[in-house]
Amino acid sequence: MYQSQVMNPRLLLRVPGELYKKGIAFWKSLSIFGKFGLTVILAMIILAVGAPFFTWLPHNVSSGPALVPPGGDHLMGTDEMGVDLWSQICYGARVSLLVGLGTALLAGLGGGIIGIWAGYRGGWIERVIMRLIDIMIVLPDLPIMVILAAFFGSSLRNIIIVLALFSWSHPARIIRAQVLSLKEQGYIKMAKSYGAGDLYIIFKHFLPELFPILAVSMIRLSGMAIVTEAALSFLGLGDPTSKSWGLIINHALNFSGIYFTPFWKWWLMYPWAFLTLLITSLALFGRDLERIADPRVVKRN
Amino acid sequence: MEYAITFMVIITLNFMLPRMMPGDPFLHLSGEGGEEVWAFTAEQRQYFIEYYGLDRPLPEQYARYLTGLIQGDMGVSYYYKDQVSSIILRRLPWTLMIVAGATLLSLLLGTVLGSFSAFHRESWKDKSLYLLMIVFSEIPAFLLGIVLLIIFAAGMGLFPLSGAMRHFANYTGWEHVKNVLHHAALPVITLSLARVGGIYLLVRNTFTTVMGKDYIRTARAKGLTEKRIRYYHALRNALLPLVTRVALQMGAMVGGAVLVENVFAYPGLGLLMRQAVFVRDYPLLQGIFLVLAFGVLGANLLADLLYRVLDPRTRGQETA
Repeated sequence: MYQSQVMNPRLLLRVPGELYKKGIAFWKSLSIFGKFGLTVILAMIILAVGAPFFTWLPHNVSSGPALVPPGGDHLMGTDEMGVDLWSQICYGARVSLLVGLGTALLAGLGGGIIGIWAGYRGGWIERVIMRLIDIMIVLPDLPIMVILAAFFGSSLRNIIIVLALFSWSHPARIIRAQVLSLKEQGYIKMAKSYGAGDLYIIFKHFLPELFPILAVSMIRLSGMAIVTEAALSFLGLGDPTSKSWGLIINHALNFSGIYFTPFWKWWLMYPWAFLTLLITSLALFGRDLERIADPRVVKRN
Repeated sequence: MEYAITFMVIITLNFMLPRMMPGDPFLHLSGEGGEEVWAFTAEQRQYFIEYYGLDRPLPEQYARYLTGLIQGDMGVSYYYKDQVSSIILRRLPWTLMIVAGATLLSLLLGTVLGSFSAFHRESWKDKSLYLLMIVFSEIPAFLLGIVLLIIFAAGMGLFPLSGAMRHFANYTGWEHVKNVLHHAALPVITLSLARVGGIYLLVRNTFTTVMGKDYIRTARAKGLTEKRIRYYHALRNALLPLVTRVALQMGAMVGGAVLVENVFAYPGLGLLMRQAVFVRDYPLLQGIFLVLAFGVLGANLLADLLYRVLDPRTRGQETA
């Protein structure tokens, strides 16, 4: 019987069909802002992944005269070295998204594990972790990150590590709170009385419940990470070998007297617009997801 | 107690970090700027390392650092060759001014707009304001600052491009105040705009909750005017959570100020911090970081105490 199910081609099609249906249902549950945000994020991901297909000029060496206004071959003009700006922006999307994704994964998973551990185990470990989280919350992150970026050296990998180091507290806190309330649920207690092991309970019962909250938190984290990377690059603490949008802005602003020239109209405005668009989209999408994932918010309204 | 631990963590972190930084202040001093290259000989290096106490064991350096700190001594800047505390004191007022100004302005704006939205709940006014605020609250301050700088300073010439006051001008009295305010206007507006969204959302929410409370219904039943109910009965209770919110936002506010100062070349601690990072000036960096962190922590401590005074419900019960 099992075999006949596998052999049936209609059943094979059911899985992508289900996914498609779920996708449509998810899309419909989003508000107009969530739809907008998701569209922009997907477009940016496509832009970043397919950067070689969308650009026709090199992103790291000069391909024309310096400071050409947008038009002709240079879709968005060139910078002071004659490097095409559109190519820089496409490849810069890779840096921004990599930082966002890397930090979100690292901090989200790390914070999630810490949160589950603290909530599930309790005891002095929980107290220490909670105290640590309290400290992390009041610390002013940016000055610390400036110092850490200077201290670690500002390669892309280090920036992601520093960002993750200072953003795990948010997912850890909400996951712990959720675990605490889950732990008291009847079915968890029942599973325990049937002799379910810790790992079984965590994987089988906790993770499916925690995943939506963690996903929302990770979207928030990635937005925060992209902003902070841009801020660090803007301060001149970015990775000089991988040109992010923040670094383009930094270069443009370091061009003395840029405000007295027309150059800012493309050199500064385009990276600025892309950065702002991506950040705002992530925030709007995250806000919408929060509304869907957390039923309490809906009740409150 | 919590704060004491946090203070110690910050001080220790502050002590350890620069010592683990790669690079070497002497290396940097000897190769900076291209033109004024002067190489240190091995003896000179040795002399300076001993002079600044960098060859001692770490615990001894730490003890020295702590005792110095208590006496208000943050060491000597490698780069500026001046007391760190006096350099910071010179720059601190500018940062304090824009942070305080932005906090007040964002509070004022957030409260006014938030209560406006709460009273016109679900109307098109509320909805459009809500959308605007959400978008604004997500744009980081320095990106906002760049746009304001381009539009109002470079484009229209309404505000100065950089600095905190006009140089080579001897203004007195009122003229001087006007000049300083004129320079501070854009940084303060930028920071406030970036922060106002969070306050707006909080006020809008709490106001709506408060307006549904029993004591508001009582006030209505007494026949009080809508104005008196809103601004005397509701406002006081709706503003309470703001105390905590402002303190919690202080970290983000200070971070924003560091960046915004760099956008507007405003001579506060943020600008100084960037310069210190570039020349690897350990003591100066430490000092700036310490002052910023203490400022944020102090604000939180203050808010905790203030909340206890303002909210009678927390009085009498001991919260650790």
